[in-house]
Amino acid sequence: MISLPRTLKKDRLERFLERLLEERDVFAPKRRDDLVMLEKIDSVSDVVMDYENTKASPKFVLFPQRETLFGYRAGKGRVEMDVPPGKEKGQVLFGIRPCDARGLLLLEKVFGGDCSDPYYADKRARTVVVSLGCVDPNPACFCRATGGGPCSSEGSDLFFMDLGDRYLIEVESEKGAALLEAPVFDDADEEALALSAKIRNQAEASMKPLVLKKDLKGQLERLFDDPVWSDMAETCLGCGICTYLCPTCHCFDLCDEGAGLSGERIRVWDSCQFPLFTQQASGFNPRPTVKERFRQRIMHKFSYLPETQGMPGCVGCGRCVTECPVNLDIREVMISLAEGNTRS
Amino acid sequence: MKNPYVPFPMRIEEILVETEDETIKTFELSFVDKEEGERFAYTPGQFAEISVFGKGEAPFGMASTPTLPGRLAFSVSRIGVVTGALHQMERGEVVGVRGPLGNGYPLETFKGRNLVLIGGGFGFSTLRSLTNFILHESNRGAYGNFTVIYGARKPGLLLYKKDLEAWQERGDVDLHLTVDQGENGWQGHVGFVPDVTRSVAPAPKDAYAVVCGPPAMIHFTLPVLKELGFGDGNILLSLEMRMKCGIGKCGRCNVGSKYVCSDGPVFSQAELLRLTAEAHG
Amino acid sequence: MREMATMEHLLTTEIRKTARKLLRDKRVDVVIGFEPGSVPLRSRPCFVRKEEDVDRLVWDGFCENSVARYAAKRKERMALVAKGCDSRAVVELIKEKQVSRDQVIIIGVPCSGMIDRSRIEAWAGPRRVLQAEEKEDLLILKGSDFEEAVPRSDFLCDSCRTCTHPNPVLADFLAGERVAEENQDLFSDLEAFDAMKPEERWTYLSGEMNKCIRCYACRNACPLCYCPECFVDATQPQWVGKSTDPSDTMIFHLMRAYHLAGRCVACGACERACPVGVDIRKLNRKLLKDVKDLYGYEAGLSLDEVCPLATFRPDDLEPFILNP
Repeated sequence: MISLPRTLKKDRLERFLERLLEERDVFAPKRRDDLVMLEKIDSVSDVVMDYENTKASPKFVLFPQRETLFGYRAGKGRVEMDVPPGKEKGQVLFGIRPCDARGLLLLEKVFGGDCSDPYYADKRARTVVVSLGCVDPNPACFCRATGGGPCSSEGSDLFFMDLGDRYLIEVESEKGAALLEAPVFDDADEEALALSAKIRNQAEASMKPLVLKKDLKGQLERLFDDPVWSDMAETCLGCGICTYLCPTCHCFDLCDEGAGLSGERIRVWDSCQFPLFTQQASGFNPRPTVKERFRQRIMHKFSYLPETQGMPGCVGCGRCVTECPVNLDIREVMISLAEGNTRS
Repeated sequence: MKNPYVPFPMRIEEILVETEDETIKTFELSFVDKEEGERFAYTPGQFAEISVFGKGEAPFGMASTPTLPGRLAFSVSRIGVVTGALHQMERGEVVGVRGPLGNGYPLETFKGRNLVLIGGGFGFSTLRSLTNFILHESNRGAYGNFTVIYGARKPGLLLYKKDLEAWQERGDVDLHLTVDQGENGWQGHVGFVPDVTRSVAPAPKDAYAVVCGPPAMIHFTLPVLKELGFGDGNILLSLEMRMKCGIGKCGRCNVGSKYVCSDGPVFSQAELLRLTAEAHG
Repeated sequence: MREMATMEHLLTTEIRKTARKLLRDKRVDVVIGFEPGSVPLRSRPCFVRKEEDVDRLVWDGFCENSVARYAAKRKERMALVAKGCDSRAVVELIKEKQVSRDQVIIIGVPCSGMIDRSRIEAWAGPRRVLQAEEKEDLLILKGSDFEEAVPRSDFLCDSCRTCTHPNPVLADFLAGERVAEENQDLFSDLEAFDAMKPEERWTYLSGEMNKCIRCYACRNACPLCYCPECFVDATQPQWVGKSTDPSDTMIFHLMRAYHLAGRCVACGACERACPVGVDIRKLNRKLLKDVKDLYGYEAGLSLDEVCPLATFRPDDLEPFILNP
């Protein structure tokens, strides 16, 4: 923490948000029919704070499902390309959950590195992450098993804890501190700090322990050719729900869209679960069935990404567990593999 | 900082139909932006993503050699959307190029060693680049004995026939050409590449073997090299996968934990064996 | 322990008994049914190949997936634990030669309708429902600090409300007593849509398409979407763009609905699979009604009836050609 924590009475939340909206775009949880989605808000009264998690993850704010990389105009013997200019306006991801904030850390690693992605970098640089700790985690959540926690502030600039009538705010970065200009905050008192610690402990204790085996990576490698993968993947529909809702999944496709010689090169989300993901022009596909594709998902998240990026490609948000149409449960898969069992 | 997704334009200067069935053409490209050309530096074994605007991009190994600056050459086999569109293009038209991408062949490691290049069909592209590089007068002395084994189904399907003739004339490269089916006038070997490799029997001592070709050819050539005494660390392969970004981000081309586009495409057999069984194909 | 056996309990027992016998007698290689899910209010498909695994099979109001979805092009001999709509899907698959009649043994389940968990979640508000027990026409919803009985019929899935064939139309075994089939399908769910002018329909559909994330769960959950290469994936030529561009998304849904016209059995698997609440069934229901009105045909009812969109009769009504 870079400065002392504050508190914000709940009836002052809208004033805080209004102040943010003056100069920035604010993405916050908002009701849409029966769902809660993260959306750009126009009116602070739309924001909901009593929700479990948004249906989709916040990644679309930094990594849109459709993004124009450049426009092109080709003619005989020449071509012009123009990259859309970066934007200046700051944006706030407000009220997202700790798992989703951690998910952004993985995306940061993938899109950064030696060959940095300028589209991601531009958005990330002007984004402030304000997360909200989970007081009552959903039974399907398993953030603790992936190195996170229901009240983890990792990846956040400001971290809110709901104390009942007010929020405790932990200031994690300069970017976060810069948001606290409005005169609506109090300094956190001992009572607030104690209550926050108590709630945090309760939240953590309420989560069913799920300990992923040490040397999970090695175990996965050893089981690579085991027929157990066929059993586990058998009911998988091969749709993209798990991928598209996941806070860390980042696979994408590049295509040209346009009429004839002018158009746009766009980047769109893709999923390793789709059959054509790795299909080569010759027709050969190294992952021809659901089994290989399902295995790739698990290996990528729990073996390859830990090796190359130092963290798993999973933050335990539980969306793939609850949203999968056939309730394929990644936790059961991991336990099964860790124990070297078949599904039965 | 450079945007890794935006190609630079290159003009088609020459188009050579390589094979008698016209399915493979080599495109020689010049830089539209001369400064880009001066900046561009690559190693044999690297590749580039070529854009046909409106159709998309596809990866192609460099068939040209860095010792001839100002031009890049790519051989294109007509199979899908992008390659089909490329084959329709004419001299003077412009394509986009993103590159150089990938790791290329480990030239420093090769220095002072003997080299055995084994290629089949279309896979010979980057081996042609490597061969011309090695044979260049400023490079030849740095490398030891040099053997090239190259096979195709029929004589008319061999690529780079002019290069092959030129190499044949030289005394500093041991060239073995083979076809599956012989024809009248064919002077070279008749037989599959793995069998020819066995009969040529290159010595493994202080040697690196580089194998590029269709999966079946690689599958049968590797045991031959092992029989001859080549260690896994001395056998290099150039892998192919469906690719999009070419920079290790889109998640598509991985073999185990390695991205073929950025960690490869050149891998040693030892590295591949250390990866998951996915690499064993 | 329950005081008296509920219908679900009886069905579960009968399904297991039949499955056990079929596996023991080696009449099938696999039984495709349902097992309890890993989270509350879920049951999920499961594949049982060994007799000792038969007790995994259950039946309840959360067996909402279509098991027929796993039937097309399968080489194994299979037993399918099929609700009314699933059996109708199998009839279509047999007619379309995706599976042969002698390859499939249908363990038919007379269906009381599936329960819509999103309705339960909406009812519960901020409370979390951890268990739903079915007791005849009641649903007992339990959380950590509450328990309430509600009418089961209030929580049925939309597709089950309009279902006119809850009993399997084709079955080798029936796991329970046939249920009453009362519904006359009045297509009342389409009244509002039918009354809309074209611009209003466009606005409504565009609003729905805006929600779509192109995950293709609707397509992949559908028992009748079995094309090895879906038209959205074709590249030569590319019919539909891959992004969430509204125009491309509209084409995907409209064309998929048309590809299913006369074939869709209105099981609702598509709608239940959608994670973002797109009203997918609307289009399918509309076309189902149009096919019924124009050709007097309903998919999945008989192995002998041929789909009108795959046949030509001189007296076919063609108002869209003759009276534009």
